[in-house]
Amino acid sequence: MRQKFGYLALPLLMAAALTTQARADGETIAVFTKNQTNPFFQTVRVGADNMAKSLNAKTLQYIPTKPDSIPEQLSQIEDVVVKKPSAIVFTPVDYKAMVPGVEKINEAKIPVVNITDRSAGGKFLSFVGADDYSLGLETARFLLKTLGGKGNIVIIEGVKGSLTNVDRVRGFNDALKESAGAKLLASQPGNYQRLQALQVMENLMQSNSQIDGVLAANDAMAVGAIEALDGANRKAQVIGINGTKEAIDAIKSGKLLASGDYNGFAQGCLGTMMAIRSLRSQPVINEIVLKPTVITKDNYQPFDVPLEQRTCPTFEDAGKLSAK
Amino acid sequence: MTDITKNDIAPPRSFLSQDAIQVFYRLLAALLICAVLAVLSDSFLSLGNILNVLRQASLTFFIASGLTLVVLTAGLDLSVGANVALSACIAGTVIHTTGSPALGILTGLACGGIVGLLNGIMVTALRIPSFIATYGMLWVLNGLTYWYMAGETLHGFPAGFRQIGSGYLFGLPIPVYLLLVFLGVGTLFAQRTIWGQEIYAIGANPVAARLSGIPVARRLLLVYAVSGTMAGLASIIFLSRLNSAEADIGESLTLPAIAAVLIGGTSLFGGVGTVFGTFIGALILTLVLNGMNLLSVSANWQPLVTGIIVILAVWLDMKTRRRAQ
Repeated sequence: MRQKFGYLALPLLMAAALTTQARADGETIAVFTKNQTNPFFQTVRVGADNMAKSLNAKTLQYIPTKPDSIPEQLSQIEDVVVKKPSAIVFTPVDYKAMVPGVEKINEAKIPVVNITDRSAGGKFLSFVGADDYSLGLETARFLLKTLGGKGNIVIIEGVKGSLTNVDRVRGFNDALKESAGAKLLASQPGNYQRLQALQVMENLMQSNSQIDGVLAANDAMAVGAIEALDGANRKAQVIGINGTKEAIDAIKSGKLLASGDYNGFAQGCLGTMMAIRSLRSQPVINEIVLKPTVITKDNYQPFDVPLEQRTCPTFEDAGKLSAK
Repeated sequence: MTDITKNDIAPPRSFLSQDAIQVFYRLLAALLICAVLAVLSDSFLSLGNILNVLRQASLTFFIASGLTLVVLTAGLDLSVGANVALSACIAGTVIHTTGSPALGILTGLACGGIVGLLNGIMVTALRIPSFIATYGMLWVLNGLTYWYMAGETLHGFPAGFRQIGSGYLFGLPIPVYLLLVFLGVGTLFAQRTIWGQEIYAIGANPVAARLSGIPVARRLLLVYAVSGTMAGLASIIFLSRLNSAEADIGESLTLPAIAAVLIGGTSLFGGVGTVFGTFIGALILTLVLNGMNLLSVSANWQPLVTGIIVILAVWLDMKTRRRAQ
């Protein structure tokens, strides 16, 4: 009996699915990222475009012309509320300061997915992001394992007080606490800038004759530190975070030990996927915190592919990618 | 009233002697910082660290040296950092595509110079205040660079080219030679040439300068072009030292360059200051960061200490200047 009913229901369901699919096509997804300068957000945007294309939707990119500008993102939100896109994929330039902006989106009843930096307030239908703390923890653990659990370590920090930096550095420090043989020589600011990291490293090498490991809170600073080490003909194992193309090249050539994959491409893909799925009344995963992947010389190949040629994870993959 | 007039048309020589006193105070301040750091850190006075500080100061100095001339005319160039970023990205692309560092260097210098010239045209022909003209230029350059780089990074340059920023010659880093050359040329140009003296005169009183037959517009054009070209030079040093370029390098370069000029005693009101003072200004900024790294001062305190030093330096300057007058 149930079987027979199933046969009847199947074509009905399929027809329903097809019509909703057809009717729902062509949504416009407004994608908000923090700046045009950090390669990470370029990967987010390509991921979002990629997913939207495969689902027959469109994206509109909103990027502050002045990097991470709070007033500019706020006025972009005001513009978007007037324009009324089908849904929004949102990275706040500042996780606290943008809360009123998110509330404006909520008031306008536009569905919104939060990606990358978790907003301190507002209603989101889903969050997709990486876990900075475990990225810091896992990359630092990998460095310490390579060094045999001992050695003199320096940390080069990002922008003080930024969400990513606080969590990454906390992860570094917790990993260091696990290795009794490791000694933290210094934890100095490089503000995510390669020139500043290079100069900090040059200075630290003056007062420390033996540095075995460098934990940099992003790839640009890691590469800056490597340039300083090269310039002084010294060797140390260096790790970065973000998994940028530059970092992959440096891992390939053996200059960089490893980079934590922040996986902007997947964040862009999955954020956009969740937004479109909710518009089409399909199930949505409310929280995807991507598992930290440490990119090393043994597993860099999948990351060594041009962005445009990468493929987005499927909905089934999404569950597996999540740490929780 | 008579006093001001007397000052305005005073012969250039008097600026020199007043500036000499200012430079002396600055040197004293730098030495004081050195003495404190030498006591606090064993590694500070090592030859390696001194060369280190000089090399680090050089990048800020290159940008700030050209900027000094602009400030001497009572102008400001806010676009220098953005100019460095665009010039670096374009020079880097030229080196990547042609494989010729020489061509890349020329392109970088030309790009910087052209931007400077455009600033000069806006200030002279269009009579836009320099603060606004170069602020607008900053946005134009940022826009161009962001669009051009599209979030990518340029990296990996020929070893020969890398020597400019990271190489050594007779035990001294190559940027330090360049620093000495431009310090010498800049000082001689400002203090010992007619053009240099005319620049001081324009800054002190543009009306008087024009009335006394100085081609004000042409000198201003020159000054902005020099500032842009020095940004172009800085972009080459940056590229070859860092082995990479990205769109957002400019932001962290502009304010330290302006700070170096001001700490160095060049007045925002024009007519007073020296290129040598700017060198000391760049040195003081670098020393402070170097010292905090050597002493492992917490990342939390570094911006605060830098800020206080900048304010103290300018305050001391005002005080000594008043006394000198």
